[in-house]
Amino acid sequence: MTEPAVLVENIRKRYKDTVAVDDVSFRVDPGEVLGVLGVNGAGKSTTIELVAGLRAPDSGSVRVLGLDPRKDRKAVRQLLGVQLQEAQLHDALTVSELVDMYRSFYSDPRSADEVIEMVELGGKRDTRFESLSGGQQQRLSIALALVGRPRVVILDELTTGLDPRARRRIWAAIEALTEESVILVSHAMDEVQRLCDRVVLLDAGRIVAEGTPADVVSQAGAANLEEAFVAITGHDLDADEDEEDVA
Amino acid sequence: MTESTIQTATGGGGLRALAMLVRGEAKMVIRDTAGLVIPVALPLLIMVMNASSANSEEIVDGRTALDIYVLPIVFAIVIATIGIVNMPSFLTIYRKTGILRRLAVTPVSPMTVLSAQVIVSLIQALLGLAIAFTVAAVAFDARLPIDLGPALGIVVLSIAAMYALGMVVASLAPTPNAAIAIGLIVFFAIGALGGMFGGPDTLPDVIDRIGSVLPFGASVDGLSAAWAGETVPWRCWVSLAVTAVLGAGVAATTFRWDR
Repeated sequence: MTEPAVLVENIRKRYKDTVAVDDVSFRVDPGEVLGVLGVNGAGKSTTIELVAGLRAPDSGSVRVLGLDPRKDRKAVRQLLGVQLQEAQLHDALTVSELVDMYRSFYSDPRSADEVIEMVELGGKRDTRFESLSGGQQQRLSIALALVGRPRVVILDELTTGLDPRARRRIWAAIEALTEESVILVSHAMDEVQRLCDRVVLLDAGRIVAEGTPADVVSQAGAANLEEAFVAITGHDLDADEDEEDVA
Repeated sequence: MTESTIQTATGGGGLRALAMLVRGEAKMVIRDTAGLVIPVALPLLIMVMNASSANSEEIVDGRTALDIYVLPIVFAIVIATIGIVNMPSFLTIYRKTGILRRLAVTPVSPMTVLSAQVIVSLIQALLGLAIAFTVAAVAFDARLPIDLGPALGIVVLSIAAMYALGMVVASLAPTPNAAIAIGLIVFFAIGALGGMFGGPDTLPDVIDRIGSVLPFGASVDGLSAAWAGETVPWRCWVSLAVTAVLGAGVAATTFRWDR
């Protein structure tokens, strides 16, 4: 059996009286795109933070390419590219300056030209981050997640708040990733259906369904992934339980 | 995962990352110079206001009250405002906006990020000190300390101590506003006790003694002694060194990437 790129086993994370992630297990194989779905407050961001090593699980284990993200911090971060929801960059620096800065963190980075062209920001090299549109900022954020030639990429709420054209451009950039393993956190079902090989559905911190998008739709006896999600979780996709309140 | 992959994975970063972070931070400061108004302009204003009355009376070996009393306070203000107020507010803004969180998922270490901040703040402080002394020398005939070596030593230790305090403020403050508030309170507290608003001999004896071992007072007293060619009191060295070591230790253990 192939060694998984990411192996999560029985992780549990509690914030005060609230269990944010409860006995969650999954694996991501090399080259696979795994979608992690759930409404706000389902435990998606906490799960991702545990995989990225930003938080330690109360119990259970996380391995990224066989390494512990907390104990092998530096090695894991060389192999992991992360695009975080709500993470900002130095706002007065230009696209080129930010790419150069982030390139310097990695042992074998992509060239600045390559990474800028990957997300089609060639015409914005000298534009400050604060002057980019939301979609351009998001594309730059993805570029910086990819700059270190990661073997595992985590993309958190990839296209939330973007217009359809910007979303399609970002999807194209993700589809161009053929060798990387990707964990895509989203509550946009069209995005997940298009990009993901497999999905796990989280609800109240637990996995309630997993499989290929077609499997999940079939299991729920639904017409599409969105209907399957509602049928399985009982939540509308627009449900807005703020996970930050939990954390 | 093979051993060679792990070895490759642990490479990169280091000095090159530090240099690029310093370059980026410096550009951020250059592109938003408003933050330099207080640490550079305020001490300059204080110096100019006091210089005309303080540069007429020679106290020792050509050094006037401007050299021995005013410039040490001006130097301490420059170092303290940048170290205790400016730098923590930058770091907490970075934490609030997620910049530190974004850096936390790269191979760059927390120490490298903090070092870059310290280096850029250090450059600002040295620039502030150079401007203050140049204006004092050109406009008011200020002269260098009689004991230049100890004076430089006190400046270096003062920077280390004030910045360590600033790192503690940055580590503990929950928000940028809190960082500014805490930084200003610490600055004015140690400044007032250290002679920023008048000679410490006007304070009650106990308060005066406390102030003299806090970093601002120790910095002013040490510089003052070096300027006058006197032996720098050992309490100045000890106070500044202890503050630097303790502050750095506390900051290292309490620093948070995230809100």
